[in-house]
Amino acid sequence: MNHVVLLVALPLLTAFLLPVINRVSHLAGRWAGPAVLLLTSAIGILLWGDLGNGPVAIELGGFRPPLGITIYVDQLALLLALAVTMGTLLLWPGGGEDRLRQSTLALLLAGAGSGLALSGDLFNIYVFYELVAVVCYGLIASRGTPAAFAATLRYLIISSVGAALALAGIALVYQATGTLNLAQLAQLAPEKLNNIQGLVAFVLLLVGFGVKAELFPVNAWVPEVYATASGQVSALLAGIVSKLALVIIVRLLILVFQQPEAHMVMLVLGILGVVSGELAAWRARDLRRMLAFSSIGQLGVMFIAFSIPGPAGVFAGLAVALHHMIVKPALFLLAAQWGGGTRQLAGAARVSPLGAGLFVLLALSLIGVPPLPGFWAKLLVLVSLSEQAQTLYYLAAGVILAGAALEANYLFRVASRFYYARPGQVPPAAPRGADLATASLLGAGLLASVFLMTPLAAQVEAIALQAADAGQYVATVNPEALP
Amino acid sequence: MLDATLIFYVAAVGLILIGIAGIVLSAHLVRVIFGIVLLEAGANLLLLLATYREGAAAPIFVKGAFPAVMADPVPQALVLTAIVIGVGILALTLSLALRVHRAYGTLDIREIRQRMEQDIADAAGIDMPTSSEAPAPVYAHEDGRS
Repeated sequence: MNHVVLLVALPLLTAFLLPVINRVSHLAGRWAGPAVLLLTSAIGILLWGDLGNGPVAIELGGFRPPLGITIYVDQLALLLALAVTMGTLLLWPGGGEDRLRQSTLALLLAGAGSGLALSGDLFNIYVFYELVAVVCYGLIASRGTPAAFAATLRYLIISSVGAALALAGIALVYQATGTLNLAQLAQLAPEKLNNIQGLVAFVLLLVGFGVKAELFPVNAWVPEVYATASGQVSALLAGIVSKLALVIIVRLLILVFQQPEAHMVMLVLGILGVVSGELAAWRARDLRRMLAFSSIGQLGVMFIAFSIPGPAGVFAGLAVALHHMIVKPALFLLAAQWGGGTRQLAGAARVSPLGAGLFVLLALSLIGVPPLPGFWAKLLVLVSLSEQAQTLYYLAAGVILAGAALEANYLFRVASRFYYARPGQVPPAAPRGADLATASLLGAGLLASVFLMTPLAAQVEAIALQAADAGQYVATVNPEALP
Repeated sequence: MLDATLIFYVAAVGLILIGIAGIVLSAHLVRVIFGIVLLEAGANLLLLLATYREGAAAPIFVKGAFPAVMADPVPQALVLTAIVIGVGILALTLSLALRVHRAYGTLDIREIRQRMEQDIADAAGIDMPTSSEAPAPVYAHEDGRS
């Protein structure tokens, strides 16, 4: 099980060696990145079988917590580490003329993202989060257009503010407890963080890490960045990086901040995210920004779901997150060539019947039409919400339903343009072959999951139950008492 | 003893607030970046204060000396890491600001945003939102700067 560290170490090591490798042999430089990610993916999949006996905690360098750094491997952490590794491999951005730099950044993303998912220590989470952030700036700016630089700069400013606020939150947590080990925090939190200081710390951490999870007040960067970055980078950010940040927040909520007020803050911000995101998407006139705003709305649904206390909320939120992780990257890949104004998309179905068909399938699942997986995920959220006897949760359920109606409106508006072309109108260019192939793969996975829904749901529920069990986390890490 | 620490707490929160105010209120990119630097400094100070002890010795063991109170080394290590990350990101911010200035010829963030929105709209082949659909655009030359 110690091999799980390779998921972090190998991509990072290769990233820093890549310029040297490339100097020795261009061929090796081209294939080293994908090969290493393939290897770490295989390691991750093999390790999945070993998790049958429950989660595992690894003490790096043999130092016991709280002094040592803990790596905590449960199914959720390994799943996310695998998602970021395989996602980067699938959406490999190192194809263009700037190959070397892009490959390095992609490898860093895989390594740092895995580290973020596996960390059991708040400060380690902060460091990996910053590393992921820097990699994202590089990937977005790599387009090289003035708009891309401006979007990166604005994203960087919001993200720096978020990181500083998160650091202030960490300071408050440390001030109250004297530790940053998540397991030890879970032990101490009911006594020391169940007060106003704990709530302030949670809000600071929520807003800080929420920047990447497209949380409501700190998501102004989303439409700009997704409109200027390449299709693969948008897919990576919306599909995977946002989920990494989200899961960090959820872990903190489960382990450290159990007070009801913390759940309420997240619920309200989630509701505002759904309302603002879906309305803005409805008004958007170009496909890329429409998808970007819709992604804010979807992340809002996840925040609402995770704010439901107990395993039911984690299960529902995880289902929406996993569904979004497959659907949104595929949509962004299709939008790589079709990102312009929706009016110019008329007749796209004639140029690429497969692309248009895929878009309709993904859109249907995103809206939540049965029997596609998106329906089951949304149903889970609504059922869990209705079991909470509080007005705000009912309001959230209403907002999610209204958001689905808006989603149906704007996505069908685009889809109908695909199939109606006025005579004389120039159809858009077809999606690139590689993008279409990757999107087809994701679409096929979505279709396959319709038939495997029962075992899949059981698996996701098992992951959620394990993640929601704070007692098991503490028992697994088993930190020593403070000196 | 409490008062001395209190001053530092006030300073840390003050730096954070000044930083946020600078980021929100300034239109000049360099001032926004200064705001971020102040905000980070405030957060770092807060982290250092987390376990500050009056008159504590540095946490280094010297033969024969057993200080009664030692400072907690963990926040100091953390702040050192945070400062290094902050400096790295500051360099990246400045280099990006330089690229943006070269492309758009301005450091006014409202104008940069305006130009960027225009570029995005042009690339997508759509018109910019008009005043009936969106708030009227704010141009930098209205307040005499450019």
